[in-house]
Formats: sequence, C-alpha cells, structure tokens
Amino acid sequence: MTFERATSSPWRAAGRGLRESLSLVAGYAPIAFSFGVIAVQSGLRPWQAVGVSLLVFAGASQFVMVAMMAAGSGGLTVLSAVLMMNLRHLFYGPALATRLVALPRRLAPWLAFGLTDEVFATAMAKGVSRPLEPAWCLGLASGAYLAWVGGTALGASVGAGWASDGGYVAQALDFVLPALFLALLAQAWRRARWPVVAVAAGVTLLAMVWWPGHVAMLVGMLAGALVGSRRPRAECSQEATT
Amino acid sequence: MTWWGIVIAAGVGTFLIRYLPLLSGTRLARGEGRLNRFLGALGLAAIAALIVLSVSDLWWQAPHWRGGVRLALGTAAVLLVQRLTPNVGLATLVGAGVYGAAGWILAD
Repeated sequence: MTFERATSSPWRAAGRGLRESLSLVAGYAPIAFSFGVIAVQSGLRPWQAVGVSLLVFAGASQFVMVAMMAAGSGGLTVLSAVLMMNLRHLFYGPALATRLVALPRRLAPWLAFGLTDEVFATAMAKGVSRPLEPAWCLGLASGAYLAWVGGTALGASVGAGWASDGGYVAQALDFVLPALFLALLAQAWRRARWPVVAVAAGVTLLAMVWWPGHVAMLVGMLAGALVGSRRPRAECSQEATT
Repeated sequence: MTWWGIVIAAGVGTFLIRYLPLLSGTRLARGEGRLNRFLGALGLAAIAALIVLSVSDLWWQAPHWRGGVRLALGTAAVLLVQRLTPNVGLATLVGAGVYGAAGWILAD
C-alpha cells in the first residue's frame, strides 16, 4: 500500500464513517422502503421482508429474488440469479484493500458483509484523497445497513398506502442515488483519470443495448479499470499532484 | 429448497462473493504492478458505470425533453455544490431537491 499511516481511535473513525453515511442513508431509505412495499405486495409477511434485507443486503438482487419467488421459480434458479447479479462484487474487496491502511482479520467479515455498490463507491471516492481506516468503512457500512433494514421495515409495515404516489418529493428521491454517484465522481475526479471514466461510462452504455444493467455495469467497470491499469507509471505519480 | 433456505443461501453466497476476494485482496494490494493499478482504477470505473446505470433508469421512466432538462439541472446542481463545498451529502440533497423542483416547474 502506498499511503502513509494515518490512524485515529477506531471508535472516532467509526463515528466519522457513520456521519459520512448520511448521503447513503438518504439514497437507501426510499429504495429499501420500495423493497418493503413490493415484498409485501408479492405475498411476503413484513417480518419476512425484513429478514431478506437483514440476511442478504444486496439491493437490486433482492427485488429480483422476491419477484422470482412470487412467480414460483425454483430455489436453485432464484439462487443462481441472485448470485450472478452479485458477481460484480468479486472485485470490490481487492480494490478496497488497496485503499485501507490495514485490514484486521476480525473486521474483515463485517467489512465484506457491508460491501454494497454504494458503500464501495463512497469508500473508493474518499480513498483517492486519504488512506481509509477499516473502522471508518465499518461506520459507513453500518449507516447504510441500518437505513436499508429500517427502510424495508417501514415500507413493509406501513408502505402499501403510501406507495408510488408519484409526487414531486418521490420524484426527487428518485434522483438521490444518481446525485450521490455524481457527487462521488466529482470528489474522486483526477484529470489524468478521465480515460477510466469515459471508457467505463461508454462501455456500460453500449453494453446496455444487449445485456441487463448488472451485466453491463460489470463489463463497463472492468473495461474502465483495464484502461486504468495500462497507464504508464509516470502518469500515476503525476496524478497525485493534479 | 425451503423459502428460508433460499434466503439464507443467497445471503451466504453474496457474503462469500464479497469476503473471499477481500482476504486475497490484502495480499494483492501490497504489489505495485499492473494488477494493483487495475484495482486502484476499479473504484472510479464502478462509480462511472453506476452513474450511467442509474441515470438511464431515470431517463427511460419518462424519455422526454423535460426529463432531459431535469437531469441536466439536477446534475449541474450536484456539481456546483460539490465544487463550492466539498460535502457529498449536501451536494446529493441539493441535486435531488433541484431535480424534484424542476419536475414541478416543468409540469404540464
């Protein structure tokens, strides 16, 4: 790892992570709420919907899982669909490890459990400017997890009446996740990295013509990272001063 | 396979997909080679891919010039606030607010 050590008390770092998860909470809560509503409408009891969010914690694939189960798909079919959708997460752990000051083995399972798309994106955007403390990542993931489970519980218990009112507040909430990703991109932006962004975005857009979103995202992400890996070493060191 | 069996297997499978590479990643992270640069670029590439995915989802909900204007205004608000105050949470909420307000202003 190329960063200098910059550590603080684990509890303080976790607190900072939790505080910085507020933008994730704002993005997660409405989506988790929708999941709760849809799960109950698909025939699950509220506590079953919350159980899915507690155990799986993987946004899009939970929607697919509930829809397939409601449609009567077989267990192995549902399971393989969920795992295929989450395969892109294979690359998140090693990438996060490059930004951590250290990875205590006892924290690794908890960090891994919380490694969703949004937690990963937020951590990596922050990791561009400073090394990441594992406790900070844990605080970040905890905020996201609480919002996900809490949003599901709320949606499953009281959501049916509120669902999809189509109001402007609901529409504003639709833009929370894109806005979060845009803000993270602006935070992590380095001029020398523009080919990574352009290739990842372009390939994802193109791949969406043929494949579903989660596959297109995986292809675009790998294409962008491949371009990043080809940059000569001199350019990498220049980037630090950009 | 029972209902709970599927949910637990999905949870365990998803966890292992995240956990096992994280363990091997600490060894990979010590390197300085091409693989290390690949992993270093992966975060930014994932963010770019997520933007395309989430924005195109929104666009296809209402593929109309008004939707395009709202997306442009929301994006501009996020970038402006992020430039003025390096606060991701504030930029996110202002961007979402502008997007919602633009929907109200541009309504038929």
